[in-house]
Amino acid sequence: MATRSMTEPAPLTAGQRPRRPAPSRLAKRIGRYTLLVVVAVVVLFPVYWMVLSTFQPEKYSLTYPPPFFLHGFNLGALTSLFEQQPIVAWLAHSLLVSVLAVVITVLLAVPGGYLLSRLRWRGSGVFGFLLLFTQIMPGAMIVVPELQFYRLLNWTNNLFALPAVYAAFTVPLGCWILKSAFDNVPGEVVEAAIVDGTSRIGVLLRILVPLSRPALTAVVVVAFFVSWNDYVFASAFITNRGLYTAGLGISTFISEEDIQLYQLQAAAVVFSLVPAALYMIVSRHIVRGLTAGAVK
Amino acid sequence: MTHDIASASGAPASAPQAVAAPGPRRGRRASRAGQGHTITSGRALPYGLLAPILIFECVFVLYPIVRGFLLAFQNTSFGLTKWVGVANFSQMVHDAFFWGSVRTTLEFTLSMVVIWLGLGLLVALLMNWNFKGRSFFRAALALPWALPDVPTVLTFTVMLDPNFGVLNRVAAWIPGVHHDIKWLTSPTLAFVAIVIMVGWKGFPFFGLIILSSLQGIPDDLYEAARVDGAGPFQRFRAITFPSLIPTLAFLSVLAFIFSFQQFSLIYLSTGGGPGTSTSTLSVLIYNEAFQDFNYNYASAVAVVGLALALVGTLLFVIFERRVARARMSAGSEI
Repeated sequence: MATRSMTEPAPLTAGQRPRRPAPSRLAKRIGRYTLLVVVAVVVLFPVYWMVLSTFQPEKYSLTYPPPFFLHGFNLGALTSLFEQQPIVAWLAHSLLVSVLAVVITVLLAVPGGYLLSRLRWRGSGVFGFLLLFTQIMPGAMIVVPELQFYRLLNWTNNLFALPAVYAAFTVPLGCWILKSAFDNVPGEVVEAAIVDGTSRIGVLLRILVPLSRPALTAVVVVAFFVSWNDYVFASAFITNRGLYTAGLGISTFISEEDIQLYQLQAAAVVFSLVPAALYMIVSRHIVRGLTAGAVK
Repeated sequence: MTHDIASASGAPASAPQAVAAPGPRRGRRASRAGQGHTITSGRALPYGLLAPILIFECVFVLYPIVRGFLLAFQNTSFGLTKWVGVANFSQMVHDAFFWGSVRTTLEFTLSMVVIWLGLGLLVALLMNWNFKGRSFFRAALALPWALPDVPTVLTFTVMLDPNFGVLNRVAAWIPGVHHDIKWLTSPTLAFVAIVIMVGWKGFPFFGLIILSSLQGIPDDLYEAARVDGAGPFQRFRAITFPSLIPTLAFLSVLAFIFSFQQFSLIYLSTGGGPGTSTSTLSVLIYNEAFQDFNYNYASAVAVVGLALALVGTLLFVIFERRVARARMSAGSEI
């Protein structure tokens, strides 16, 4: 709290910012900045370390004390990773699976959000509860019966079947995100459209969805992240190393004896690049969505 | 759903209630009317939209859950499946490993709720003023949340390495601490390491949400309090904290759910060990199923886990509502 002493009048000096701290508050300000820097270092350090270790010359990964800064620049970890491991194929598998999961999620969550938001029907309470329960349930709790089900269908080691499980977990979340977005569309807009003779599907597709783009982006991102991120189901359903998703493949490095620490970090960087890029592209939408939600 | 009030606009749709026989298709009875912006005509549409989602969720979530329940009451040996009643559950009651995992789960979820909300609140309060670099700071805070689990584990594995890890270099700055801490092989330290890692990943996210809620508190409240001579601490107690209660209550539910769902971060870094020190129920189930191939016992544990998730969430929701209500009324009196 940037406090201003009660006794002195507000000094209106610096243009647009009327609340300028008095010199006596300077110490407090410095203290705040120091704490912010500490938080920033704590938050960013592991990411910094991941990138640093990737490009650090190899010999430093096996020395103590590990240097805090870059001593030279080395692409050896990356090149050896791509040469020795089928990482490109794994990344392609992850991309395929995640995109499919996103498509299923959007196709089902858009009508789902509509059902929860603007339509009134018997059983919507039960439906909402079912969706909530699906969201709360940890994935590991149903991995065993889910695996048996997949075996029954002969769907194990199938990259086109895997996304269905992810979508089963992201559809409920998507429904809830879109429900609150649809709720926020002013009622007059919807009513005006109905008066103009728009059908209810038309209201959804031509009014609610276009007006809820940030929320829709959030749904896409969440569904993508969940699928890209998954380990539980991929590790149970995909046993053929040639079909590994990137997360599964790279995680096998952790327990592998003959892989070097710096290669682990290179793999981590490569795996994080896709979600990071996606996040950069859409972060504006997400932040806007978050703040819009907070105002409501 | 009996809250529907037949409004004037619902007149054409209100007839079928008497007509529809209590047949198996609930859809026939359908919605009657709505108010305000609710769209009323065409009774079949909601059910038409519902069918694909419901079928999808039933096939991929409900059916496996039911199957899991059945598995919990069976045993399979040499390809023969037998019904064994509650044998798996009575085995569980006498299983020290199970109880150890229950304890770990409780300790872990509690630690995460406290750490995520506590640190998140601190960060939010720290950021709730106009400073240079605020947008950079926001972006930075979202980073750990956006980092997938597998790279997070990889990075922490490297950072926690007993021989070359950088965390040991930092820890060695503390007087009396030697730099050969074996994080993942000591039960207490493994738990601490997990809490640090999962805590790091989550607290900035909670901070961002608390921050956006902080910024929703009207400035006039603070101005009025200042006029009344309230100091920073009093303002926090009388305005900030009561205003945050609904958010914090909601976030504690979320923190409980998120930490209960945590699996890959823990499993990939410690595998649940040593002993049960980091073996949450999710990890125990996975190990029982895929290390020991004991699907039936794993399913029995999963039934307990699902029940715990349900009970815990219900308790939190009730608690949240009560606290919010109590605080709101108390807050208005001050």
